[in-house]
Amino acid sequence: MFLFDDLLVRPFVSLLDVLHTLALTELYDVEALRDDLKENRLLYEIGERPEPAYRERKAELEAELERARELRAELSDKVEVKG
Amino acid sequence: MADHVYVYGIVEDADLSFEAEGVGGATEIRTVEYRSLSAIVSEIDTTDPDRTDEDVERHNDVLGTVLEEGYTVVPMSFGMAFKNARTLKGVLRGANRALRKTLAEIDGTVELGVKLVDTGLEADPDEVQAEIGDRLDEVSINDTDDDLFSDRLVLNRSYLVDRDERDRFDDAIDDVREAYGDALTVQYTGPWAPYNFVDVHIGADRGS
Repeated sequence: MFLFDDLLVRPFVSLLDVLHTLALTELYDVEALRDDLKENRLLYEIGERPEPAYRERKAELEAELERARELRAELSDKVEVKG
Repeated sequence: MADHVYVYGIVEDADLSFEAEGVGGATEIRTVEYRSLSAIVSEIDTTDPDRTDEDVERHNDVLGTVLEEGYTVVPMSFGMAFKNARTLKGVLRGANRALRKTLAEIDGTVELGVKLVDTGLEADPDEVQAEIGDRLDEVSINDTDDDLFSDRLVLNRSYLVDRDERDRFDDAIDDVREAYGDALTVQYTGPWAPYNFVDVHIGADRGS
């Protein structure tokens, strides 16, 4: 969930900036990435995902999670992001 | 120099010493006592160990060994390391009452994990979840809310089970396997120290 309070106190923040922020944070949803990591592990543990595929997917998701955390840290200076 | 102490969990009145693969390359596990509390520890060269998959597994394995000996364990989260045994004893003194209360609350129990994965279920997953949940409630003391992190999960809970009821819980899981066959994959894990059923906050100052 996003707070648009900044639009009230900082009218120079354009709607485009906010929409861009929304799109990026949606794309880099930390909770969803954590769930994907857990699902990847579960599918490996019950034998539905072979080890090479599990490891490859794990590395991809961990890299995405790292990017998501960095992005959230950057965006926190611009627009308040909650949730 | 490995002169700090890493804490796995707390038990009551124990003087333990055994060899095992511990966190941070440790090989000797022992106890540090404060009154009736005994902290399960090993030596480590940092007060801020890295959280690697391997070391998290070692942390759980050490607690598993202590559980197998029949002790009731208040588990510590991964990463609790102190400057020395004296600092740890100070923490145990401060948390003495909370730890003793928690040990009494979980006396004689273990935690068991149950995940049910849809692998061809034709029935309504909500109904299946309710039916199996009720069955497992009968043979447990408490359970957690579901953590359904995947659409494939029908149920994902941790159960607090009395050691004396462990066979009945195992039987209930066997019943689920038999009833649903290939339609549900059952991932049954444990026994674990009851991580999800204790709420003790200690170690604000670890002396690092």
